[in-house]
Amino acid sequence: MVFAASGDLPFGSLSAPGAGMMPKLLAGLMMLFAALVVAGAAQSEALAGIDWSDRGHAALLVVITAAAVAAYRPLGFLIAMAVLVFALLVLVERRKLLVSAAYSVGLTLFAYWLFGKALRAPLERGLLWF
Amino acid sequence: METLDSLWLGFSVALRPDVLWYAFIGCLVGTLVGMLPGIGPLAGISILLPLTFGLDATKAIVMLAGIYYGSQYGGSTTSILLRIPGEAASVMTCIDGNAMAKKGRAGAALCIAAVGSFVAGTFGVIMLTLVAPPIAAFALRFGPPEYTALLLMGLIFLAYMSTGSLVRILLMASFGLLLGTIGIDVMTGHFRYSFNIAELGDGIGIVPVAVGLFGLGEILSTPSRRVTGKVVRPRLRELWPSRAEWRSAGMPIARGSVLGFVIGIIPGSAHIISSFISYALEKRVSRTPEEFGKGAVAGVAGPESANNAASTGAFVPMLALGIPTGPVTAVLIAALLIHGVPPGPTLVNDHPNVFWGFVASMYVGNLMLLALNLPLVGLFVNILRIPYAFLYPLIIMFCVIGVYEVNNSIVDVWIMLIMGVLGYGLKKFGFDPAPLVLGLVIAPILEMSLRQSLIMSDGGWSIFVQRPIAAALLAVSAGLLVLSAIGYLSRRKDWRAKLAEAEAIKNP
Repeated sequence: MVFAASGDLPFGSLSAPGAGMMPKLLAGLMMLFAALVVAGAAQSEALAGIDWSDRGHAALLVVITAAAVAAYRPLGFLIAMAVLVFALLVLVERRKLLVSAAYSVGLTLFAYWLFGKALRAPLERGLLWF
Repeated sequence: METLDSLWLGFSVALRPDVLWYAFIGCLVGTLVGMLPGIGPLAGISILLPLTFGLDATKAIVMLAGIYYGSQYGGSTTSILLRIPGEAASVMTCIDGNAMAKKGRAGAALCIAAVGSFVAGTFGVIMLTLVAPPIAAFALRFGPPEYTALLLMGLIFLAYMSTGSLVRILLMASFGLLLGTIGIDVMTGHFRYSFNIAELGDGIGIVPVAVGLFGLGEILSTPSRRVTGKVVRPRLRELWPSRAEWRSAGMPIARGSVLGFVIGIIPGSAHIISSFISYALEKRVSRTPEEFGKGAVAGVAGPESANNAASTGAFVPMLALGIPTGPVTAVLIAALLIHGVPPGPTLVNDHPNVFWGFVASMYVGNLMLLALNLPLVGLFVNILRIPYAFLYPLIIMFCVIGVYEVNNSIVDVWIMLIMGVLGYGLKKFGFDPAPLVLGLVIAPILEMSLRQSLIMSDGGWSIFVQRPIAAALLAVSAGLLVLSAIGYLSRRKDWRAKLAEAEAIKNP
C-alpha cells in the first residue's frame, strides 16, 4: 500500500534523499518484521484462543461514538454529547431511561461549563444559539 | 553553587500561587487517573492536554507532569484495596499490598506506599537536578549523526526492555515512524499520503493517536461487567504503620529509590520494569523470603518507591536530550512543543524558568501528593464506588472533546476513533501500542537527522561510525540486539519473560 501510494514521491539518492526514501525504507522494514512475526507464529497464542467475548460491547461503542462524531458539527456539542452518553447508558449498559437522561444531560452541562465557560475552549454550537 | 542558584530561581517560579494551583490540579487528577481502571497516565495526560492551551508553558508542563507522577501514587490505592492495578506500574504492589489489606493492614500498606513514593520521588528530583544540566551540556556536541544514533538506540532499548517480542516491538515502532511521515516533507515540500485531506498536511497528531490507542482502546476492551466495585474503606487511625513495619520498609524504600531512578533513565516502560526488579531484589535480599506474597512490607515499599523514582528518572533524557523514553514523556514533549518550548540541550539555557520551575514544582508536587494521599484516601476510595458503567461514557466524552479541541478538527476525532479500534485489535493480538506512539513522536527528528547526516557525508553511511559518540551509541544498540538474539536462541526464561508473567496478573 505504501509503495503504491508513494508512486510520485522521489526516492532521491543517498547523497540527496528524497521525500519518498524514509516511508519506503520503513515500509520495507515493516514487511521484514511482519515476515519474522509470521515465521515465529508457532510460539504465539493460537488465533482461536483469543477471547473475543467483548467484541459486541466494543462494536456497539464504536458505532455509537462514530454516530456522535458525525453529528458533532451539525448538532453541536451539547446535543451530540448528551445523546452519546445517553445512548451508551441505555443501549450498552441497559440503564433506566430517566436515570440515563438525567445523568447524560447533567454531565454534558457540566462539561459545557468546564470547557466552554471556565476554560473558554471553543465548542461547536450546531443547532443551538449558545 | 550555580545549580543552587538555578534551583532558587525554580522555586521562585514553582511557589507562585498560580503555578502551585496547577501543580495541585495535576497531582489531584493524576491520583484519580492512577486509581481508576481503564484510564492510565498516558490517556489522562492526552485527554487533558487541550486544557493547557490557554496556559503558559511552565504551568502546562507542571500540571501535566503532576498527572504523571500523581498517577504512580494513585495506582497503589486500587492495587492494595482491590487487587486491581489502576495502572501497569502497580502490578507488583497488588501481591503483598492486597495481602496486607486482607490481614487488616490496608491503612499501613497505603501509608508505606505513599511515604515510599514520596521519598523516592524526592530522591529522583534531587538526582534530576544534579544530572540533567551536565547531560544537556554534553548533548550540545551532538550533530545529526549523533541524534540519529541516539534515537535508534532509544528504539532498540525500548524493544529490548519490553516484555513482549523484540520483533513485534520493532514492527510497532516502524509503523509509528511510518505514520510520522504523513504530511508535508519539510525538506522538499512534498505532500505525503495526505490524500487531499487538508488536515493531514500537518501530519497525524500524537494526541488523537495516544488517546485512541490508550484511552478508547482500553475502554473498548473493558466491558463494565468485568469491573468490580467492592472496596475496603480504611479508617484514618489505621493508617499509621507499626514500628516493626517502618523498620521493614526503610531499606527497601532506599534501594527502590536508587534502582528506580537508574532504570528510569533507560528508554522503555521503566516504571513498570523497575517495580518488578525491585520486588525480585527485595525477595532475594530478604531474611524471610517466604513472607513475600503473604503481606511482606518490603514487597510494597520497594516496588512503590522504584516506580516513582523511575517516573522522575524518565524526565532526564526528556529534558536534557529532548528524547522521549516512553509514550508518556513523548506526549509531554509534544505538550512543550505546542507551547513553543523545544525540550533538549538548549532548554536549560533558553528557558530556565520552564526548566527550573518544572524541577522545583516536582519537589512541591511530591509534598502535595503525600498530603493528598494519606488523609484523603477514604475520600478517594469513594470514587472507586462509582459504577464503571457511568464512568466510561464520561471518559469517552472527554476523549472526543480533548482531541477535537487540539486543532478544532473533526478529522482528528475520526483518527482517534480509528486508533481506538486499532488499539483494541492490537491488544487482542498481543502487540504493545507504546512503541507506535514513540515512533510517531520521534519520526520527524529521526528522518531529518538521518537525511541531514547522509547529505553531510555525501551519501556515505560511514559517517555513523567515524564520529565517536555516534559509533558508541550504535555499538550499544548492536550489543542489545545481540543480547536479544542470544536470549531468543537459548530460549531461557530471562527477567523480561518473568516480568511478562507478572504482568499477566493485571490482564489475566
